[in-house]
Amino acid sequence: MDVPLYLEPRLESRLVSLLRARTFLHTLAGGLGSPLNVLLPDRIAENLAAFRAVYRRHHLSGGIHFAHKANRSSALVRRLAATDAGMDVASLGELQHALGSGFAPDRILATGPKNTAFLWLAARSGATVHVDGPGELDELATLVRDHHLPRVRVLLRLSGFRAPGVRLLTRQSRFGTAEGDLDGLLKSVERHGDAVELTGVGYHLDTTSPAEKAVALEGCVKALDTCRARGLTPRAVDIGGGFGTDYLADGAQWQRYTTELTNAALGTRPPMTWRRHTYGLRNENGTLRGALALYPAHRPAAGAQYLDELLSLPAPSLGRPLATLLLENLYELHTEPGRALVDQCGVTLARVLEVRRTEATEGEPAARGRTAPDHLLVRLDANADDIGLEEHGVLVDPVLVPRTARPVPDGGPVAVYLAGNLCLEADMITRRAVHLPAAPHPGDLLAFANTAGYCMDFSADEAQRQPVARKVAVWQEGAADGPGQEDAPWRWCLDEQYWPHLSRRTKGTA
Amino acid sequence: MRFERITDAIGNTPLVRIDPSVHGLRTIDLYAKLEMLNPFGSVKDRAAWNMARQGLATAADEGRTVVELSSGNTAKALAVLAGMHGVPFKTVTNRMRIPEVKDLLLLLGAEVEELPGQTECLDPTNTDDPLTQFHQALSEPDGAYLYTDQYYNDRNTQAHVEGTGPEIVKDLDGRAPDWFIACVGTAGSSTGVARVLREHDPRVGVVGLVSHKADFVPGIRTIDEVQEVGLFDPGTYDTLASVTVDEALDGMLTLARRCGILAGPTSGAAYFGAVRYLRELDAAPAPGPEPDRPAERRTAVFIVCDRIESYLGYVRQRRPELLGRPPQPNSPATLTDAEVRAAPDIDVEGAERWIERERPLVVDLRSPFAYAALHIAGSVNIVDELFGELVRGGLPFSKSRPVLLACPVGEQSARYAALLTRMGHPDVRSLRGGIIAWRDAGAPLVRE
Ligand SMILES: Cc1ncc(COP(=O)(O)O)c(C=O)c1O
Repeated sequence: MDVPLYLEPRLESRLVSLLRARTFLHTLAGGLGSPLNVLLPDRIAENLAAFRAVYRRHHLSGGIHFAHKANRSSALVRRLAATDAGMDVASLGELQHALGSGFAPDRILATGPKNTAFLWLAARSGATVHVDGPGELDELATLVRDHHLPRVRVLLRLSGFRAPGVRLLTRQSRFGTAEGDLDGLLKSVERHGDAVELTGVGYHLDTTSPAEKAVALEGCVKALDTCRARGLTPRAVDIGGGFGTDYLADGAQWQRYTTELTNAALGTRPPMTWRRHTYGLRNENGTLRGALALYPAHRPAAGAQYLDELLSLPAPSLGRPLATLLLENLYELHTEPGRALVDQCGVTLARVLEVRRTEATEGEPAARGRTAPDHLLVRLDANADDIGLEEHGVLVDPVLVPRTARPVPDGGPVAVYLAGNLCLEADMITRRAVHLPAAPHPGDLLAFANTAGYCMDFSADEAQRQPVARKVAVWQEGAADGPGQEDAPWRWCLDEQYWPHLSRRTKGTA
Repeated sequence: MRFERITDAIGNTPLVRIDPSVHGLRTIDLYAKLEMLNPFGSVKDRAAWNMARQGLATAADEGRTVVELSSGNTAKALAVLAGMHGVPFKTVTNRMRIPEVKDLLLLLGAEVEELPGQTECLDPTNTDDPLTQFHQALSEPDGAYLYTDQYYNDRNTQAHVEGTGPEIVKDLDGRAPDWFIACVGTAGSSTGVARVLREHDPRVGVVGLVSHKADFVPGIRTIDEVQEVGLFDPGTYDTLASVTVDEALDGMLTLARRCGILAGPTSGAAYFGAVRYLRELDAAPAPGPEPDRPAERRTAVFIVCDRIESYLGYVRQRRPELLGRPPQPNSPATLTDAEVRAAPDIDVEGAERWIERERPLVVDLRSPFAYAALHIAGSVNIVDELFGELVRGGLPFSKSRPVLLACPVGEQSARYAALLTRMGHPDVRSLRGGIIAWRDAGAPLVRE
């Protein structure tokens, strides 16, 4: 192997400083076990401020609702309660959590599939309900009447938007009501006028493409105009989440890596993965087929910047920049960022249990005379459910946090496979060979950076009675950007013990 | 030259020598094969006609639609050819990023569909990407489609085996050039031409150019994307090299400004890649004398794929300075912050009384769509872009009539109030806080 195929994580100052605090991290993991999720609640407030700055730049008002589904942490939710953020909850449990963390109901938006209990508590407390379709609207209205609840504010989730001219295809969605069926939906709204109050419409599209979102956003503005023409008085467009996160420090590494994956799938270089996994690519008579089933881990425009670029795009048929379109029609903008808002907010630590050499033939059959070089198999005290990077298609290298300070040996970089602690062949934390600057030792920690968005606890369970990672919140005393702040001492508490008054000061509230 | 049909004008394009004072090569003659002079504007005219001509003859009667995955030039040629035969044409792509090309295709009567973007939340159970599904739908037997399949169709390559390649040899007096340089999109032109040239002389050097991975050069693929092309065989090329957008645009400028060849960015990439590659060989000692070759001068040919006109938006996005114009007089851009801060304005309550008393002309600068939805009664709508053009030529209203300017939050109206004041209007004011403040104060808005 000539050049190590690194995929170094993008680490901003707080994470850099945390990962440098070796003794601190080992003390935490020593006391609380492996795996361990470490959260930086102050960072989520900073990300929120970046989103708010984009709103301000475009003179827009409206709610930035954190999509709670991205992370179960109480510290993150409570830290946000101390800001002007809203909360997007997608289950009864999340709604209870938000209410109990200090979110007044007028800051809560209930989205996603809903059972009756969820709908009842949303209506009872006075949260806004993002309604999926006429059926849900009927159920909600019935609940309101039967239980003598106050009128509920609703947004309508739309889908299936049509673009003028060039037809933009969108993946079919299970959610929302087709734009073309708006009339029927509005009839329901009017019929249930005693029980619900329409405050806006919205969408959430599972796509990275700003062009598709521009069509949807303009479609929503037009839908609101239809509402106004019928005498309704909605005032918000909710554009959902999906602003993305940039996981990698170096775009060139990502480009080189994906080229090598392509070559590996075509068989023109040795395999890079466990059992010749190809992440969705296939070789058909020397031509590449399929699509790379990976998160685009290097994203030059992600998070708040993606929002800024989206809002600057021209509306496909009305021509004005989308932000101008919202503004001059006097509408508010709601967003539901999940992954983007927890960017740089967390690290998952896992202890190295065993380091062993695999023979080339063990992982992959030596096909066509090409054998993979030897690799180290590193067994971690954590499983693939604890570290969902692979499950979510995010390729990024862990950072080695050695148990004892030791010089980096001259051996040069090593390629390792990271296996989990379950008695299951499939329990691989990565199915690719991960390059590390040096081989880890048992007792070291591997820190998986930036796991707070979906990768930390989205699929964690208690399989084989292995403990699910505990969560701790950490913070530094003093102003975040003060001089020498990077090395200010770290404080911590269990996630469930965290309240915003603890981290007395970091940057001003967002 | 007299033709019966426009399709007879496909091919037989000129081979033009690039002036050595432009490229600076001492021992190599560089020629451009001007495929941009094909009747529909690009190298793809040949492939499109060769792939479609057989099927087109009967397609109308059979009720077929021509379908292709093309982001531009192939679609353009096929749209024209299909239209001439009374056959519908549809293109499906996720690579079409040139708005002028989209509009041109619609103008030509094509149906254009763009594939959805990547998912933000990975679904590991979903293995079929939209493109694979599209292929499956097209290859169903007895389909109503005439699928030209440019990335796999040998008739694409064949068009260049029969046309482009032999034309180059003929224009070089029966010899193959020493080097042939082409951008790789479908690989059809580079593969076809290379085959012909090598049959003439196996020593021909073939250079394939791809786009730098992080960049987008219209019409060509990146080093990974060419692997998805059925006609692509790495064995065709002695060298594969990549070109950045900046390099392609540099090449395009040189061709346009110094050679009079009004070609697009892909051609710029081919020129840039050719000169970069040849420069090293130019410096190397000339090859030893060989009986059948003159030792002193060698030749190279590159392909000029299409025309410059469609790429103005592309250039504006990436190199706005190339389209820079001097600042306009009476443009809001010439205002100082102090002038804007000093712009006369009036709050909602004051404005309501002013309107009542003096009936100023109320100008709403928002778009017609927003204006139509809700506006101040009696106001006129001049959208800001248009208003900017109006005032460039002078004051658009009489000085005797007071003017109230309104925009969403009072920012733009303040700029224009400052500008009109500077231009001599005695009583123009901006609505402070804009229509949003007006609404929030509960002042009336009407919908007509
Ligand atoms: C309705 C809704 N809003 C917001 C989100 C959050 O998206 P992201 O984490 O990509 O910002 C999701 C994710 O699935 C969603 O379904």
